[in-house]
Amino acid sequence: MEQELIWDLEQEKQRIMVHPILGRIEKGRRVKFTYDGREVEGYEGEPIAASLKAQGVMIHRYTAKKHSPRGIFCAIGRCTDCVMVVDGEPNIRTCITPLREGMTVQTQYGVSAEPFENQ
Amino acid sequence: MYYLRYMAGAKVPLSERNDMKRYDLIVVGAGPSGLSAAIEASKRGVKTIVFDENARPGGQLFKQIHKFFGSKEHKAKIRGFVIGQQLLDEAGKAGVEVVLNATVIGLYQDKEIVVKTGDTVHHYKGDSIIIATGASENMVTFDGWTLPGVIGAGAAQTLMNLHGIKPGKRVLMLGSGNVGLVVSFQLMQAGCEVAALVDAAPEIGGYGVHAAKVARTGVPFYLSHTIVKAEGTDHVTGVTIAAVDDHFRFIPGTEKHFDVDTICVAVGLSPMSQLLKMAGCRMSDDPKRSGQVPIIDGHGETSIPGLFAAGDVSGIEEASSAMIEGRQAGIYAAEFLGFISKTEMDNGEEKLDAALDGLRQGMFAPKNRGKNIEKTEEGIDISRNLLCRGFIGDDEIERFPGVTHKAGVHPVIECTQNIPCNPCQDACAMHCIMVGKVITALPAVDPSLKCADCGMCVASCSGQAIFLVNEDCGDGTATVTLPYEFLPVPDEGTRGRALGRNGQEVCDAEVVKIRTSPAYDHTTLLTMSVPKEFAMKARFFKANA
Repeated sequence: MEQELIWDLEQEKQRIMVHPILGRIEKGRRVKFTYDGREVEGYEGEPIAASLKAQGVMIHRYTAKKHSPRGIFCAIGRCTDCVMVVDGEPNIRTCITPLREGMTVQTQYGVSAEPFENQ
Repeated sequence: MYYLRYMAGAKVPLSERNDMKRYDLIVVGAGPSGLSAAIEASKRGVKTIVFDENARPGGQLFKQIHKFFGSKEHKAKIRGFVIGQQLLDEAGKAGVEVVLNATVIGLYQDKEIVVKTGDTVHHYKGDSIIIATGASENMVTFDGWTLPGVIGAGAAQTLMNLHGIKPGKRVLMLGSGNVGLVVSFQLMQAGCEVAALVDAAPEIGGYGVHAAKVARTGVPFYLSHTIVKAEGTDHVTGVTIAAVDDHFRFIPGTEKHFDVDTICVAVGLSPMSQLLKMAGCRMSDDPKRSGQVPIIDGHGETSIPGLFAAGDVSGIEEASSAMIEGRQAGIYAAEFLGFISKTEMDNGEEKLDAALDGLRQGMFAPKNRGKNIEKTEEGIDISRNLLCRGFIGDDEIERFPGVTHKAGVHPVIECTQNIPCNPCQDACAMHCIMVGKVITALPAVDPSLKCADCGMCVASCSGQAIFLVNEDCGDGTATVTLPYEFLPVPDEGTRGRALGRNGQEVCDAEVVKIRTSPAYDHTTLLTMSVPKEFAMKARFFKANA
């Protein structure tokens, strides 16, 4: 159940490079991590959700009962819509968990990284 | 689970266990209010600790990139994130201890709290406690509201202003309070397109100046409309809105569709008062304070002695008032604990009281919530267009005291509602602009005084409502100088179209001057030349594609 990325993955067009008030956006070190088995990149220390959003990832998980998709909603760690399986551990709030090099980030199906058809 | 195990083994009272740390004052929340409280208490010798569940202190201040309202004592015309940094510096100097990533999950008898950090919980006891937990966003449900792409306005601010990520390409905003209006503008500053601003209410909830700066860029406002459905199967691909009647029922046949990838919801805030309720404070449901709030006395003290509430948790207002309430709570706590005398307390808070009172005036004051105000304090009819469509009509603008006419360059101030704000008055070295002692008064322009065309008033106006106009340059043209906070900034000589207050194209325009200055604080002053008959109509510039 691989989701289509709605923005250009290479270009990361969702990133604001220069802002009229904040100026040039400073970021940490560029690091590699895996998203659903694919090697992708983000900036160390930014929330995992920010790295994913920059690449157009919209769906973070599917709910257990109705299998309906969820993504970023509150972005401050309150609503738990954006939880994913990170380094094998489910229910990690990606909007407040800093990205580190080599992390394994997986779409969460219910409370598992296994798509429902394999559960 | 940890907590239950702990309690089960607790044979001795919690307060006598060795691992419980004790402080004079515990502050919950390191936002504008909590930090301010901790600063004032620490300065008076109170041993203070602050807990915050976030990874960074400052609450929502670092997401606020607009200039604040108020007067000098309220840090007016300074951008929110700069105020946040000043507050952190002040807290550092005062030696305030802030524990981050620490969620206070319980508030019990005798002012004991339980704090969760990572997978462990710790107990603390305070001789006094200040709850400054702030507020959380409200939500509305509609068909498809759980689809990825439907986000809170706070999420949009967090993504774009903290993390440098655009929340979407094309966004529909639901909610016309100050948050909806300000975030719409910020979305455009971040390079997103705002398709429309929608509110079920018949009138705009936030400041008219915030609405006007969005409307003049061409964003349509749909009042008495709300969302029927978010479209898309696994993420938002569009939205349908429809008009609603007086009872908020959809009117069939009024549906409108927009292609958007993001729906941003800004439908108000609610106090996060759960800890106070848990502690057994007397509470009340108060619509003027936006929800369930503790009943507090004039000192922010709840029904439990020594337990105080400050900031949005005791009623939704602005960050500016939260900071003052916080400072007051810090001083009250110091007096409660005996670190200062009652006289010292009164001396410390007299000025703060006056400052807070100054912010609580005008037509948007908490006491006026829900009231239908049709005239300004000066007795002038409020613009109906501004309330219902987001912009002042060309036939309405002349009646306001900031709009005067004279030969040569002069300020035109399109500030038409009584808001506590006066930086324009201080900005004008020539004294052309007069607000007076009551800072909610509408600014008036004295046409008999010379304007130096310095641009300071334009940049100082937090509402971006001041323009410098030369109505007749002698060659059939006029010039209009406007605040411009977008990228790219057009070069001098760029041709395009001037937009009216309603965002519609009114005439051809050419950029004749671009001014930037550290004193303008990131507001660029764009001067455009237009045919002179459009001097009082042209209010925004759009370059030709």
